[in-house]
Amino acid sequence: MSWWSRLLLAARFVRREIVSGELSILALALLVAVTALTSVSFFSDRVARALTTQATQLLAADLVLNGNQPAPAAIRQEAQRRGLQVADNISFPSMVFAQGQATLATYKAVSNSYPLRGEVTVRRVDGQLQTGRLHPAAGMVWADARLLRKLGVKLGERINVGNIALQLDGEILREPDGAMDLYNFVPRLMFNSADLAATGLIQEGSRARWRLMLAGDDRQISDLRQWLAARLPAGSRLENVEEARPEIRTALERARRFLGLTAMLTVALSAAAVALAVRRYLARHWQPVAVLRCMGLTSSEVLGLFVCLFLLLGLLSGVLGTLAGFAVQLGLMQLSSRFVGEVLPNPGWQSWLLGPAASLLLLAGLALPPLLAIRQVSPLAVLRNDVPLLHSSLVAPLLAVLVLLLLAAWQMDDVVLAAWLLGGMLAFFAGVGLLAWGMLSLLRRLPAGRQVGWRYGVANLARRPWLAIVQIVALAVGIMALLTLTVVRDDLIAAWQKSVPADAPNKFVINIQQGQRAALQQQFVTAGLPAPALSPMIRGRLLAINDKPVRPSALQDEQARRLAEREFNLSWRDELPEGNRILSGQWWQAKARPQFSVEQGLARTLGIRLGDTLAFDIGGTTYRARVTSLRSVAWDSFRVNFFVLAPPSLLQQQPASWISSFRLDAAQEDFANRLVAAFPNISIIDVSAILDEVRAMVDKLTRAIEAMFVLALAAGVLVLWAALAATRDERLFDIALMRALGASDRQVRAVILAELAWLGAFTGLLAALGAMGVGGIAASKLFNLPWSINAGLLPLGMGCGMLVVMLAGWPLVGRVTRTSPLAVLRSV
Amino acid sequence: MTPIHDKAVLSARDLAKQVVFNGAPLDILHAASLSVQAGESVAIVGASGSGKSTLLSLLAGLDQPSQGDVSLFGQSLSGLSEDGRALLRRDKVGFVFQNFQLMPQLTALENVMLPLELAGHKDARDTASQMLGHVGLAHRLRHYPRHLSGGEQQRVALARAFAIHPGILFADEPTGNLDAATGRQIIDLLFQLNSEQHTSLVLVTHDNELASRCDAIYRLVDGRLNGARA
Repeated sequence: MSWWSRLLLAARFVRREIVSGELSILALALLVAVTALTSVSFFSDRVARALTTQATQLLAADLVLNGNQPAPAAIRQEAQRRGLQVADNISFPSMVFAQGQATLATYKAVSNSYPLRGEVTVRRVDGQLQTGRLHPAAGMVWADARLLRKLGVKLGERINVGNIALQLDGEILREPDGAMDLYNFVPRLMFNSADLAATGLIQEGSRARWRLMLAGDDRQISDLRQWLAARLPAGSRLENVEEARPEIRTALERARRFLGLTAMLTVALSAAAVALAVRRYLARHWQPVAVLRCMGLTSSEVLGLFVCLFLLLGLLSGVLGTLAGFAVQLGLMQLSSRFVGEVLPNPGWQSWLLGPAASLLLLAGLALPPLLAIRQVSPLAVLRNDVPLLHSSLVAPLLAVLVLLLLAAWQMDDVVLAAWLLGGMLAFFAGVGLLAWGMLSLLRRLPAGRQVGWRYGVANLARRPWLAIVQIVALAVGIMALLTLTVVRDDLIAAWQKSVPADAPNKFVINIQQGQRAALQQQFVTAGLPAPALSPMIRGRLLAINDKPVRPSALQDEQARRLAEREFNLSWRDELPEGNRILSGQWWQAKARPQFSVEQGLARTLGIRLGDTLAFDIGGTTYRARVTSLRSVAWDSFRVNFFVLAPPSLLQQQPASWISSFRLDAAQEDFANRLVAAFPNISIIDVSAILDEVRAMVDKLTRAIEAMFVLALAAGVLVLWAALAATRDERLFDIALMRALGASDRQVRAVILAELAWLGAFTGLLAALGAMGVGGIAASKLFNLPWSINAGLLPLGMGCGMLVVMLAGWPLVGRVTRTSPLAVLRSV
Repeated sequence: MTPIHDKAVLSARDLAKQVVFNGAPLDILHAASLSVQAGESVAIVGASGSGKSTLLSLLAGLDQPSQGDVSLFGQSLSGLSEDGRALLRRDKVGFVFQNFQLMPQLTALENVMLPLELAGHKDARDTASQMLGHVGLAHRLRHYPRHLSGGEQQRVALARAFAIHPGILFADEPTGNLDAATGRQIIDLLFQLNSEQHTSLVLVTHDNELASRCDAIYRLVDGRLNGARA
């Protein structure tokens, strides 16, 4: 046969096999796996591209000196002397108010040369959109849609910014260095830095970030970088294009890995469906292959036909799955647009190749070993009706695990992590499988009922225990994930809300100046509210532990690095604060002696022990003292708490801003607005509003994850289908025999229903138990919450399991009952 | 011993087949020899378990003898590999089986087209539909085997076997799964096609009446072939 006629023959063979529907479950399983993989891949690829190709825009400059103080004039002059462009951007949280409403906002004061890189898009008063290197003129202010909505103001109106009123003349739609902030649920506001001093918002102890933005050619930038390296002011860091937005990179990397994990779960389940479907397909084709051999096809020609078939099927599923993955990814984007920006670059061509490649890889790993056995089919098999068993060897499962590992490593970009993950997943599957096996053996020991359907249904399950276990595990994992995300998540939130005392403060006031303390407390008394206790807050940077300098870059732990980089809020006081407990050491014994008390979590993270000597830089002075106690702090009491405390004698002389917390009921909300109007420099942080924002964010993120778990559940259903299809011929024969022996339609249905019901009940029970376990672990290890078991989860899980299994299984088995017994007995 | 004819399409000399069963050698076939001339029909009859199907599989090159040799179209099968024997079968040998052996995933038409396509015929579709018309199934072209009766399935199998105009056709109990009336129709059709195409026929059956329609009858008793030309 010529190559051309071989190809034609293969094409016709493939078309007929696909049209006959024998491959539909296999194709669907591949499709689901590819959809899961590619949706995550497209998502992370586009976000990564946004981060790299738009990095200069994310920074709005080429290099930024980011500090908690204004950049020294010497640095600014040096940059200008070298011909670099310079701009300023000062950002800080503060209150903004208009029309009697007040809200916390992130302020950004920018100089006239802002932005140096990237573009700003604003909607003007006349509704026109403007894009370019724009900034608000002096006397003007721009705000984002959230702020306009919260304050109920329109463009053209005036709003109060600190001590002055500015005219609102633009709505910010996009700003280069503000679009991708994961924690950016606080409304934003931009005004000209020429107005900054007049607002009176920047005072001693204000939490402002001063960014000196620089732009120039590559040479100029790298030269200045070198010059700056030795002259970096304390509390400052350099941000360049490669290091832009590390917090977003970390958060997105976590999201990508988590989504990758759920995608791998789907792929592993789909792989089980693929393996089952391939085995059934080849077992059914043993005789046709023998006929082909009779007709004169050589073994390699037969193998060639099937390889062509699987290649084409893999490509087809890969391409369709990739398109579906792209669509799912659009949904993921929609749900997370707020955190990753509205407009992202298109995915690279590599992402489009992943789907077909993964599909082929899966097929190669799962179908190749049984497919190679087809070469051994003798034409003699046409004269014998026995179908030789496919040889089980270790090669097939090993190859399957290898392929999964390869895909996981691709997905996670980390072989070791992928191996751990896959190992954990397989161990988890094995654990669930063991439980399922225990349940099945228990079921077999139950006394046989009199009812025919019950008895034979149970017998059917027990007859194929391995297949039953595979189905139960695959479906249980999918349902468990969804139960965890819905029911258990709500339970956790409820448990957390319960753990917060009803009278817990719901507002924090920060930035209170020394001279405002008495007047502020008086406002409370006048309004008939209890005067809140005020605590001093002093900012300091940890310099050394036991005279060993703390270098953030040298710290392994990410959280420790973050803590060491930023400034601490220290405070001084006489008595141990309410809700704090001394764990080791003692509260101030000799108050005149310099000493520190450190929160235990912080001590653990930074490796601080009782008796260590800490050195802090506070306002240019170094304070050195020993740690005389370690404390536990009830953070969820919402009282003002500090990581590091000192006796008054040590820090009293340092300039401080003051902080307090208090409780306001919804009816007294107006008091907060009046307070801000009277003290424009203070900021009120509304805890409940922030909690609402956090909950909305969690909702959106869990919905994105839910979408991925729905794919995992779909893969579980496919495993069920593949298993039901694999036993279809056996079932047909059983049922025909029962019919021939006089069983009614009702009795036949009862047998199948009983089997599906047990399968579903076991699946749901395991899913519910798993969800409870995950919830328990999350409550105790992650959130430190008291965890009560939601008993409703068991019936809910079992109901879900039975519903899913019956809905998915009935159509496939239902067809069996409609076939005439004679036709079946004849055909087998 | 039957003399081997020079113009034989198929000739077998001293064929024996031994298998190991429960650790002990078991002779299924002893020194069987026969020959089939072009256009000749030969029946092999015997009771169940007499070794009929074993002999057929050896003659058609589906299996290898423990001893002896088969020559098909002048070519010795013992010198050929399994794939070599397959290539020899490709456009010269047809099969009809007791259990039809149609491809379940292919329509009637596609089943008949398959051997034509394998042999590289350009007009496979037309030839196949003509063949199906010839066996009275012109209205069943797009039906799948599961939607056809047993008799109809065997007609498709006949159409498939004769589509390539084989030099020789092996039929293994072609009426074994059919009722008497349908069986007769199938056999009539088989002999009709056989004579139209001048095909040699090797027919394995336990039906003496059917065997009597052949030019020669060989009888297998306990693996021993006693043959006589009619």
